[in-house]
Amino acid sequence: MLGYALGVSCIVLIVGAWFLLTLGEEAESRIISPTILQSPWEVVASLPSLIIERKLLESIGATLWRVILGFSLAVLIGVPLGMAAGTWRSARAFLAPVVLYGRNMPLAALIPLTVLWFGIGEFQKVMFIFIACVPFITADAASAVMGIHDRYVETAQTLGASSRQIAFKVLAPLALPDIFVGLRHLFGLAFGYIMLVELFDAKAGLGYLISVSQRLGPRAHIYLILIIIGILAYGIDRLLAFFQRGLFPYRSEE
Amino acid sequence: MTDDKSVDNNPQVAEGKVAAVATEAGDKNSRAEGLSRIVEFKNVTKRFGDGPDAFTAVKDINFAVEDLPGRGEFVAVLGPSGCGKSTVLRLIAGLAPHHPATSGEVLVGGKPIPGPGADRGMVFQDYTSFDHRSVLDNVAFGLECRGVDKAARYELARQWIGKVGLSVDKDADKYPHQLSGGMRQRVAIARTLILRPRIILMDEPFGALDPSTRLRMQDLLIELWRELEATVFFVTHSIEEAVYLGDRVYILSASPGTILEELGVPYPDFPAKEMQRDPHFLDYVFKIRDTIESLESSDRAGDD
Ligand SMILES: Nc1ncnc2c1ncn2[C@@H]1O[C@H](COP(=O)(O)OP(=O)(O)OP(=O)(O)O)[C@@H](O)[C@H]1O
Ligand SMILES: [Mg+2]
Repeated sequence: MLGYALGVSCIVLIVGAWFLLTLGEEAESRIISPTILQSPWEVVASLPSLIIERKLLESIGATLWRVILGFSLAVLIGVPLGMAAGTWRSARAFLAPVVLYGRNMPLAALIPLTVLWFGIGEFQKVMFIFIACVPFITADAASAVMGIHDRYVETAQTLGASSRQIAFKVLAPLALPDIFVGLRHLFGLAFGYIMLVELFDAKAGLGYLISVSQRLGPRAHIYLILIIIGILAYGIDRLLAFFQRGLFPYRSEE
Repeated sequence: MTDDKSVDNNPQVAEGKVAAVATEAGDKNSRAEGLSRIVEFKNVTKRFGDGPDAFTAVKDINFAVEDLPGRGEFVAVLGPSGCGKSTVLRLIAGLAPHHPATSGEVLVGGKPIPGPGADRGMVFQDYTSFDHRSVLDNVAFGLECRGVDKAARYELARQWIGKVGLSVDKDADKYPHQLSGGMRQRVAIARTLILRPRIILMDEPFGALDPSTRLRMQDLLIELWRELEATVFFVTHSIEEAVYLGDRVYILSASPGTILEELGVPYPDFPAKEMQRDPHFLDYVFKIRDTIESLESSDRAGDD
């Protein structure tokens, strides 16, 4: 409860500072010029034009769809690979170079590369998210499995479990809650990544809307979109947390 | 079996048994002739690492435990911290990196062991429950691995949940995080004993429990062990626990561990709480405490 109150007061503080910095009717009387930062009210007031003229909802849909598609693909490939890497030393050794390389890959370089491979379009954007996320998801899944205490494996062995049974009945289910937490964080990251390709070129999407607002105005839209992105990311995280509680009732802590 | 019981009910004769074990300890070989040996260590040494950094955990361990028909022996293992008690247990269990021994032979039923197996169940002190499984599914785990069908394994698991003193109605569907430490140890014991292993290895299983829970668990264990007729190796830091539970107590020397003393102790006839107050019982505890102290001081003298 106290934590909640502190969080709210932080937001109030930021909005309050924003309000003071942009206080005044004329541009000259403001501390920060309205061409750079508009007042909170001006930003909110630009919402109807963002929704109607710039088709906000369509762009939200386009962005979410790309992220969800690319990320799901990355989960489908990365989680099993990572779990295998966590379970078997040989799989770990085999995958190590790809994971290490992939995690240190500069994302900016990945954009021209994916354009080269997949052209410009939806597929390229989905693949960009996929390639950017797979190494992280794999590494997270592997470390979740490796973080499981040996005692569980030993207990299972002395109860007659085969290594296959240990992998599927002990390691995988014990690692899944941690993997899920990792995926929640990485999804937020992926949501940020997609903006990069959308700024670069797109016909819809939140990143595209930002670049349009920057070029054609109104600038207030940029701030509005950033706020909307924050709210969306928060909503998605809460949704995933809700699923997490349902999926893993045996985890007492969040 | 019945003979054993009547003998043990008489403290006088029970002491006689102790004396007999003590004198026979000298010629174990002749005593063991007619019986098969369920666990035997022959000059077992375990070294970790190699070269100048090698560390000898246990050295030249020799002992044999007979397969007492229809009974099984309860061996308590005492010794200072780091002397190799867990190493001995894990060598019997076949768990890496302690298994295999660097030299010597670890024999179970006369044969070298290939690795861990359900014939040698092990109960640890911590991380004992599979957190993602309900109590029922924890207890049924080994049967599930054997391919026993659901109805049969749940039936048996419910019986064992009752046997270890948990409530079938209230506790069976709980997850481990909803249980106390003592309850979790009960689950771990049920999960191991349901498979009826010939050998039960317990590494300080009650070490983290409060004193009164601990006494109750000791009584439970004795009761279940009598029913199972298995050979038990029980590591503990509590001399009282060792004397109460054990038929025999092994005392290991400080690192590198070697078995220094093997003592017969009275059979537990009364509930732990009463018996552990008995003057006769306390005599054994003090005797062992003195033995350990003299071993430690001679050890120190040897080091100088
Ligand atoms: N995997 C390992 N690698 C290296 N050394 C080890 C390993 N396992 C145990 N040892 C060493 O071997 C010695 C014996 O260890 P062990 O765990 O058997 O002792 P213990 O008698 O069970 O001690 P405690 O009473 O503290 O549980 C210790 O000095 C320990 O440091
Ligand atoms: Mg130990």
